[in-house]
Parts: sequence; structure tokens; C-alpha cells
Amino acid sequence: MDSLAPMINGFGVVLEPTNLLYCLIGVVIGMLVGVLPGLGPAATIAILLPLTFGIEPVTAIIMLAGIFYGAQYGGTITSVLLRLPGEASSVVTVFDGHVMARQGRAGTALGIAAIGSFVGGTVSIVALSVVAPLVAGFALSFGPPEYTVLALLGILLVATVGNGGRVKALVAAGLGLLLATVGRDTFTGAERFTFDSLALADGLDFVPIAMGLFGIGEILHNLEQRHRAVSGAVKVTNTWPSRSDLRQSSGAIARGSVLGFVLGILPGGGATLASMASYALEKRRSRTPERFGRGAVEGVAAPETANNAAATSSFIPLLTLGIPANATMAVIFGALLIQGVPPGPQLVSQEPELFWGVINSMYIGNILLLIMSIPLVGLFVRILRIRPAILAPITVLITLVGVYTVRNSVFDIVLVVVFGALGYLMKKFGFEPGPLVLAFVLGSLLESSLRRSLLLFDGDALGFATRPISGTLLLLLLVVVLLPVARMLWSRRTAPADREKTRTGA
Amino acid sequence: MGPGPAKRTAPEAGEASGGAPAPDGPGAPDGPEGPGPAAAPPGPPAGADPVQDAEPGFEEAPEPPRPRTNTAVALVVTAFGAVGCLGSWSLGPGTPAEPAAGTWPLVVCAVITVLGCVLLGTARRTADTEAFSAASWKILAGIGTMAGFIALIGTIGFEIPSALLAFVWLRFLGGESWRLSAVASVLIVAAFYAVFVGLLSVPIPHLF
Amino acid sequence: MIHTPRRRYARRTAAAVTAVGLSLSAAACGGNLSSGGGGGGEDYPRGPIDLLVGQDPGGSTDLIARALAEGAQEPLGVAMPVINTPGANGALAAGELAGQEPDGQSLMVINASLIAITPLAVAGDEVVDLADFEVVTGISRDDYVLVTAASSDFDTLQDVVDDGDGIKYGTTGVGTGSQLAQELLFAQAEVEGTPVPFDGGSPTLVAVLGSQVDVGVVQIGEAMPQIEAGELTPLATFADERNQYLPDVPSATEEGYDVLVSQYRAVVAPGGTPQDTVESLRSAFGEVFASEAYQAFNEDNFYTPHETEPAQVAQEWGASLEDYRAMVEEYGIDMRGEG
Repeated sequence: MDSLAPMINGFGVVLEPTNLLYCLIGVVIGMLVGVLPGLGPAATIAILLPLTFGIEPVTAIIMLAGIFYGAQYGGTITSVLLRLPGEASSVVTVFDGHVMARQGRAGTALGIAAIGSFVGGTVSIVALSVVAPLVAGFALSFGPPEYTVLALLGILLVATVGNGGRVKALVAAGLGLLLATVGRDTFTGAERFTFDSLALADGLDFVPIAMGLFGIGEILHNLEQRHRAVSGAVKVTNTWPSRSDLRQSSGAIARGSVLGFVLGILPGGGATLASMASYALEKRRSRTPERFGRGAVEGVAAPETANNAAATSSFIPLLTLGIPANATMAVIFGALLIQGVPPGPQLVSQEPELFWGVINSMYIGNILLLIMSIPLVGLFVRILRIRPAILAPITVLITLVGVYTVRNSVFDIVLVVVFGALGYLMKKFGFEPGPLVLAFVLGSLLESSLRRSLLLFDGDALGFATRPISGTLLLLLLVVVLLPVARMLWSRRTAPADREKTRTGA
Repeated sequence: MGPGPAKRTAPEAGEASGGAPAPDGPGAPDGPEGPGPAAAPPGPPAGADPVQDAEPGFEEAPEPPRPRTNTAVALVVTAFGAVGCLGSWSLGPGTPAEPAAGTWPLVVCAVITVLGCVLLGTARRTADTEAFSAASWKILAGIGTMAGFIALIGTIGFEIPSALLAFVWLRFLGGESWRLSAVASVLIVAAFYAVFVGLLSVPIPHLF
Repeated sequence: MIHTPRRRYARRTAAAVTAVGLSLSAAACGGNLSSGGGGGGEDYPRGPIDLLVGQDPGGSTDLIARALAEGAQEPLGVAMPVINTPGANGALAAGELAGQEPDGQSLMVINASLIAITPLAVAGDEVVDLADFEVVTGISRDDYVLVTAASSDFDTLQDVVDDGDGIKYGTTGVGTGSQLAQELLFAQAEVEGTPVPFDGGSPTLVAVLGSQVDVGVVQIGEAMPQIEAGELTPLATFADERNQYLPDVPSATEEGYDVLVSQYRAVVAPGGTPQDTVESLRSAFGEVFASEAYQAFNEDNFYTPHETEPAQVAQEWGASLEDYRAMVEEYGIDMRGEG
């Protein structure tokens, strides 16, 4: 930035009482919306758009931005407590977060998520303030070939994050990839696996699949177990993470912030990829990777930090280039247009107050969210005390009604029930839902990027290696793939030496 | 606790499945360990997982291998993959350099079919499936209530189907008393109405 | 409480039967759902009017609908909630509208591309026919613009025609105006290019900005901020006259190419809606069009007002469909993509 003056003026804007108030309103609404599975920030912002007509543009965007990252906080709550990920970026949190809840450590999970989210968001804002225009241009150099390699990397990571049988995880991932192909093919217009249903013409949406597999599937499965298990609420201790939890997670939070910031700038797919990448990174770095999926606190800290960092940095393409990076940004884009402030490359220079006002409001918003989380975590954890028999139908209804709100479609309710049945069967037969959902998200990105790349290269796949960025990413991919193999070979080579030692030493 | 304690299936790494049943770990401590799992030694021995044992009140015996179920599942997967291959082929297989609509689905389905065969091969050894039990009819009932919800929501709004669904789940699937079920159902629907219709103006079909 | 098994069974059955009976009778009454029933006539409107939009919130069609809805609340005296039912470029929402009562309580903002272009790319039974609906009024025209990155070698349309063989052009998807405009243009100009479809305007714009593709066609509202900032060079527009917001950019027709592709939007009601209801709605929307706020909205978003009579809308869109069909055949264009 040219000078610090606009940035400091921005704080002046934020600290005006009206803006503070709307910031608070925004994050509260966002948190509530995030808690309600199905109703996402994009839909909420759309519903609330009329409210923004009468207020100043800065104030309006401050509120809408608050809704967005507030929803990230809220989405964690249902992931951890009810195993219902409301957003693609909360799926990974379910792996360890919900297990921790079942162990009576829900408070720890939610607490570390809140802290990680705060740190991730703040780091992202600081970085944003400093390097926004530079990295925005960089994001534009990411074309279809780069996205292809990133998606490939993501699919590989999917295999890493699961805990169960490898073969079954791959089958689940394959099913996820296949589900992503349903709908009208972007390239040829051909209807793929739509069975002549118009509702399927645009393909399947993530929310019914995730909510069906994780939420309804789990509830159905529990119906069977109830009479077997000794019913008794697990003693809920730890309403806040302990010092050693924090120490254990500090590395994960640091790495997650950086990873989330970088991946969030890329239009399309940033937050989900960020959450997966940070989880996989922590699992690989850890000396005790078998704890992941069983309640490892880093397994919650890493993705939560990363997804908040990514959510914040996804504002960069919108505010500096006028390009919305995801659906929520698209609605905020619309809101800006309605306010008469067309987002574009000139926004920063023409409306510095707005730009800095919004960015600086994010600091305040994150602080407000953290402060609110402290009492709320205790409150939400109490939800777990409700008898399962009562909680089950409530969760079912929240899911059924919530999924309707995504596209105002009864068909989506049908989908969620179908996937609920599938989720039950998968659980019975040892297939994990995680790989399916993650592969679904990445699958369409992978296929369309791959086909676009081939069109750009006129069918010559060598193009992937010759482009600088995709070439670099390919190398990274190879390293990631070959590293465990290399490690195995290395340990085999040193093992005989150890055997020698023990023979002579003993 | 979340929606019902879930019995953990034995998610051993696929290759090492089967083996000797894991012994119950050391007596489950009261409540979970404070600062995260007790320091796990690198590569803990199978079964002695202090984190897992922190869940009280569960039978820890892992599932025995079920060859017949596994074979059935593997066959289903293989058949699904094969059918998918056929469907993808009809969309146009294309070539690797010039993919058509069916190229990618074909690749994926082919992989699924192969994996199904692998599952068939390991059917005797895998031990991560569960059997159906007498309580499985509850699942059908649960799905039935949801199907009823979908069928009715378009004509009479969401209030009545929701109340019915909640009532059935509470009374018949959850074993709660008549009075509690009835009262709770009404309260739940009222709360939903207040939030979704009143507060959020969601255009869900509603009667009142 | 202790019940004998038989009594418990009887109780259960009784409760179940009652529940089913209640539901069935309620369903038989046909239900009286959300935005009320009743026909048109003197006491129209009878409550909030639903305005359906077949696209996601935040997109152009959605914003136009919201601007209209906001303005129409006063002349009509009732709220007009916007309901997004995205899918198949609006075909899903159109289907839903067709199932509503023709009493003026449900409307939809519909795209011309759904009527005039999508039929060229999809199977017969998925085609949406405007004749099934009552057109209330035309709204506006949103032009398409051919753009390229400022750093590219192309500065004018002629450059592309001369040197363009082998270019990659980005389209916003199969069956869109973006694809049709470029296919027609390059076929007539005899330029050999490869279409690279993206999912909508935004990714296409990003690809052009980053020089991932050589050129692309997007809606003018999406491209204007970039054009004004000097990041994009506009090469041509596709209406019959130059676009008022880009006075220096030639239209394709002016350059000698018979390519007329624009996105229009109109308000429609279910088929069979009584004429006087349609008239009341028309005049209400007319008031909105005349308002300052709406006109400023048009300018800010680069829409050209096209507030035409229903008959003209039907005629224009029908004619477009026929023209496109003829041209696509003439040039042997396969809207369903290569291969």
C-alpha cells in the first residue's frame, strides 16, 4: 500500500458506533446461520440484501462480511456436536472434532476451533493488508492446468485423511468422483446419469450429500445401537482447551494460517482444499499419526485455522480485482453493485475508505467472535446433554428443513434421505463417508480442469510440465507421492544395520 | 453425548485387518484424560489405544470377519462398477487426448470395478462390517417417516409432517412417554416455525 | 404405567390411524400453502407475490429481480419476496412456475437465453416454450462483449480475424449466448478456434484476464470494471447498434458479421393468468421502470432498458430462436461441443 494513512483511516471508519453495531449484528447472524446446517452464508446474505438498501455501503459490507466469517465459526459447532458439516470446509473438522465430542471433550474441540479460527483469520487479515495487490495478480496466473494438479494433490490427500481400510476408502472416493459427474456436462451438454430428471441437470449439490451421509446416516445407525450401549451421558468435562492442548496445537495453527491464506486466494475451491491440506499436513508431520481420526486436537485446530484464513483471504480477489472467488463473494459482489460501488481493480484507489473499512472490520469481527465463543461454547456443549432419543428427531428435522433452504427444492430433501440411507449402509459395511464427500468436491474440479487443460494444450499432456507453475506443482505432487515410498526404502536400508547393532550390543 | 453413542467398528488399516482380536485396553479411566490423549508411544500396539478406551460403556470386542457379507458387498461394488462402465461407454468413451462426456466416468468406474474385485479377494479377512439385527427394522421405520415427510410437505406444509415425524421418533424409536412425545413434537415444530418461517422467511411450504 | 399387550397394541393402532386420517384429510383439502390462493380481479393482489428466479443469488438475473421486487412493493401494496430456484439455466424455476395457480401471485424473471439458445443444445423434452406462459413485460437487455487481456496481441476485432487461427476462446458454458456469439462470429469470419467452456461468466473473465485463453465473451456488466481499469480490451459487442456504455467499441454487425446475440430478461406469469391481472402488474412494473432508483440501478449495472409489450417480447424471442437455428445449421455449428 502506498501509505499507512488510508489504513489508519479505515480504523476510524470501523470504530464508528453504527459500523461497530452492524459488525456485531453480522457476526451474530453469521454464527447462527453457520450453526443451522443447510442455510449457508450465501443464501442468508441474499435474504438480508433488502436490509442493506437503506444503509451506507461500508456499513452494509461490514455486516455481510461478518456474516460470512461468522458462519465459519458456527459451522464448526454442528460439525463437532452433531457430526453435521454445513459447509464443505467443515467436513474435515468432523473427523476428529466429533470424536472428541463423544469423548466428552466437546468443549476442548470447540474452544481450540475458536482460537484457531481467530488466529487464522487475524493472520490472514494482516497478510491481506500487506500483500493484497501482489498476490491478486498471482492468483490470475492459476489456470486450468494448475487447478488440475492441485485437484490431483487434493485427491491424493483424501486417501491420507481416512482411517479405515484403504481399498474401501478408495471405493468411496471413486463413488464421490462418479457422483460429481452427474448432470449436464459443461463441455458437450450431454446429460450424464440424470435419468431424464430436470432436477439433476445441474448436478448434485454438496450439502444434501454431506448432510445425508454424515448426519442422517449416523442417526440411523445409532437407532440400531441404542439398546446395546449403556445409556449414560459421558461426563462432559473440559469446557475450554488446556494449556497443553494449546501447546500441542500451536504448530498446527501456525501452519494452517499460512496454508489457508495462500489457498484461499485461488478462485474456487480454496477453503475446502485448505482444510484438507492442513489436516493432511499435520497428520503426516506428526510422529503419532494414528491419533488422527481418534480425537487428536491438532485434527481440529489445523482445518479450522485454515478454513478461516482461507475465508478471509478469499476477499482479496473480490476487493482487489472485482472477481468473486466463491458463491458468497458473488452475493457480496451483487450487494456492492446494488450499493452503487462496482467492485473492480479500481476499488482500492477509488474507495479507500470502503476497502480499509471492510478489512479493518474483520479484526473487530474476529475479536467479537472469539469473545462470544467463550460463553457460547459452554452453552452449546450442554446440547449434548439432551437425551439422544430427543436430540435425534430434532437433528433429523433440522437436516430436512435445512437442506430445503439451499435451493428451495423438495428434491434436495429426497436426496438427503437417499444419502442418509446410503450413509447408514456404508457405516454398516465399513466404508467411510469422508473420502466420498471430499472426492465429490474435488472431482468436478479435477475433471473440468483436466479437460480444459487438454483443450488449451490441443491434447498434448506435456503442457502440464512445461508451464512454470503447474510444473512446480507437479514436482510437489511427485514429492508428496514418493516421499513415503522413499522413507520406507530408507528405513529398510537402515534396519539391517540396527539388527546388527542389537545382535552385537545385546 | 451426540446423537447416541456409536459403537466403533474396528478400523484397522486395511492390510492388517483380521488378525487376533484386540484385547480390551487398560480399564477405562473415569472421563477422558485432561490434556488430550496420554502420550502415545510411536506405533501403539494394536488395541491398547487409551483414547479409544476413554469412551465408557461400550463393548470393545471388535467385529469378527463376516465372509458372506463381505462377499456380497464386494459383488455389489463390482457390479455397480461394471454397470457404470457400460453407462459411461454409452456416453462416448473418447480418447485420452480428446475426452468425451463418458471418458472420465469410464475411468472411474473401471477403477471401482477393479477395487470391487480386490474386495472380493479379501472378503474372508476383512473385519469391519456389522450384521443386521432385530433392531434394524427401526432404520426402515426412520426412513419411512422421512419419506412420509417428503410426500406430504408439498400438499400440507411442513408443520404436520414434522410433528408426526418427531412424534414417531420420540415415542416409537426413542421409547419416550406418550405425553413427552406429544408435547415435545408440538414444541419442536413451533420452534422451527419461529426460526425458519418467522425469523428467516424461508419459503418452505407451510400451512399456518 | 402398565398396559396389557393387547391394550397397548390397540392404543398404538388408534393413534396411528388418527394421525394418518388427519394427514389424509388435510391433504385432501388441498392444503392452503404459503403465499395464499385466490384468483385475480378486484382484490388483486391478495398477499405477497412470489418472484421466482432460476439463477443463484448475486447473479445478474437475481439482482434485476431484486431491484424490481424492491420497487414494486409500493405500487402493488404487497411484499414481493424473491425466491431462488436455480437449475438448468432457469428451466427448473420455469417448471415450478408452470405448476402454480395462474392468479398473479407467482411470477418469474426469465432469461431470453433459456428460450432462444438453450433449446439448440438440449434434448427436446427439456425445452421451455414461452407460449406456455403469459409475458407480463420485457425488462432490459444485457449485451455481450468480446474481450481480451490488455496485454494480448489483439487490439481490434480485425486483428483476431486476421491472426486468429488456433485461438482458444473462453465461453460461459454450453448453450449460452457467449458460446453462440463466438461460434457464429468465428464461423463467419473463418477463424479456426477452439472453444473452452467455463462454468459461468466469472471464471471465464478470470481466464481472459490471466491470459489463460486468448479471448472470451462475457456480459458487459461483468467486464466493465475491468475494462474501465484498463485490464481488458473490448473488441466487439453483439447488439444491432453500439452499446451505449461502450461507444467506441464496434458492433459485430457493423463489422459485417451477422451476429445478433443479447441477453434479455422479462417477467412472466403462469399460462392462463387473466389479462386484467397482467395489466395491473404491467402498470406496477411500469412505475418501477420510471423510478429514479431503478434507472440508476440500470446505469450502475450497464443494462439497457427494453421495457416492451408482451407481444413484442414473444415475437422477438421467437424470431431469435428461429434465426439461431437457421444459422447454426448453415454454418454446421454443433452447440453440443466438439466430439
